[in-house]
Amino acid sequence: MYQAPVALELTDIHKRFGDLEVLKGVSLTAHDGDVVSILGSSGSGKSTLLRCINLLENPCQGQIAVNGEELRLQTRSDGSMEAADEKQLAAIRSRLGFVFQNFNLWPHMTILENVMEAPIHVLNRSKAQVKEFSESLLEKVGLADRAHYYPAQLSGGQQQRVAIARALAMEPQVMLFDEPTSALDPELVGEVLGVMRSLADEGRTMLIVTHEMKFAREVSDRIVFLHQGRVEEEGTPDEVFGSAQSARCREFLATAV
Amino acid sequence: MDWSVIAEYYPRLLEGAWVTLQLVVLSGVIGVVLAVPMALARISEKKRFNLIPQAYIFFFRGTPLLIQIFLIYYGLSQFEIVRESFLWQFLKEPYWCAIITLGLHTTAYIAEILRGAIQAIPKGEVEACRVMGMSKFTMYRRILLPRAFGIMLPAYGNEVILMLKGSALASTITLLDLTGMARTIIARTYTPEEIYIAAGVMYLLISWLFMLFFKVLDNLFNKHRLV
Repeated sequence: MYQAPVALELTDIHKRFGDLEVLKGVSLTAHDGDVVSILGSSGSGKSTLLRCINLLENPCQGQIAVNGEELRLQTRSDGSMEAADEKQLAAIRSRLGFVFQNFNLWPHMTILENVMEAPIHVLNRSKAQVKEFSESLLEKVGLADRAHYYPAQLSGGQQQRVAIARALAMEPQVMLFDEPTSALDPELVGEVLGVMRSLADEGRTMLIVTHEMKFAREVSDRIVFLHQGRVEEEGTPDEVFGSAQSARCREFLATAV
Repeated sequence: MDWSVIAEYYPRLLEGAWVTLQLVVLSGVIGVVLAVPMALARISEKKRFNLIPQAYIFFFRGTPLLIQIFLIYYGLSQFEIVRESFLWQFLKEPYWCAIITLGLHTTAYIAEILRGAIQAIPKGEVEACRVMGMSKFTMYRRILLPRAFGIMLPAYGNEVILMLKGSALASTITLLDLTGMARTIIARTYTPEEIYIAAGVMYLLISWLFMLFFKVLDNLFNKHRLV
């Protein structure tokens, strides 16, 4: 069977906050075009895992590779690891799109400026080219008519769609979503999931931390269930939702669906 | 009360007001330029960078502006090395001594205001820069400093108005700013009431001008809050 190349590979990631060990050796591989959903109860370490990938949190042990390029890490005095080469970290970060739970748009810039900022000032692309591309992205997330609004003028769902467009503007190889709908009221969740679904249909590689079980089941190629900092269950949606080996996982899915 | 002295001397008072305006604006420019690196060093994660701004701010906030003016105007000229350096052409002038002192003084305050503003930016906005692979320099230049400037504007406007009034102390080193000019006129006419009232009104007008100016800046940097 043909196997697409590996887009993202995490090996044995450990993370401690003081005495609390949040991640106890998590490994995860995503191939090009894979949509992987990471499920688990609060405190299971799923957001921390996602934030370790681009070093928003510094893991204490483990390896991270994007498209086969391994991120070089060095150990700090407090036992956590930091990038050995800031330039390499910046380059890898620019290839990973990240969408936050709280959108984190820059409030003093218009929607269009938010989307255009990084391609111009990180990738050094020409303004005209970026503007055209950014407008097409806003079109794609259904906000072309709001280009000159400020974030505060938009609803949460609209802000999150802008945040997705902003991440896409960097043409990332992998998109990371950290509970993208958890800060939204139920009516606005649908519009964000709709955009994410269309990205999945385009064949984008996506890692999604979410509590939207139904969405995860429909969209994902693979589900990873984290429990107490370990991968407790992993498989296709049908395997995990239908016949999970782990009792904890079955219990969690039973209460959630 | 003899109001005719105002009619007679108001051109001199205007000259004084012009000097006052120069003192505040020039020292304000020095203050902003020096405060940016000062604030950045103050919040640096590298502890050894914190020491210089901490000591600087401790000194300039902790001692009276009047003493600082005296130290620079009377104090520096005691040193031969200063008198022989190219700086002497500035430091022998009360005008430049006043501007330098006011500038160094306000730097300490602006640095603290700016530090507070940078630290008030929600962490998520900083993380949004980091996940894009932005360098620290780009992050500060493009996002954090413009954002912090919008946040600090009300406090900064306040500081400029305080400096306007603080600049009156420049009259103690023979400078004919608005206060100095008023005192000189009074020494000649013996009409303190009238002239101090006129000078006070001019200070009010200047602070009103600054308030307008900051309103314009606010419209520029905080557009997103108005809509």
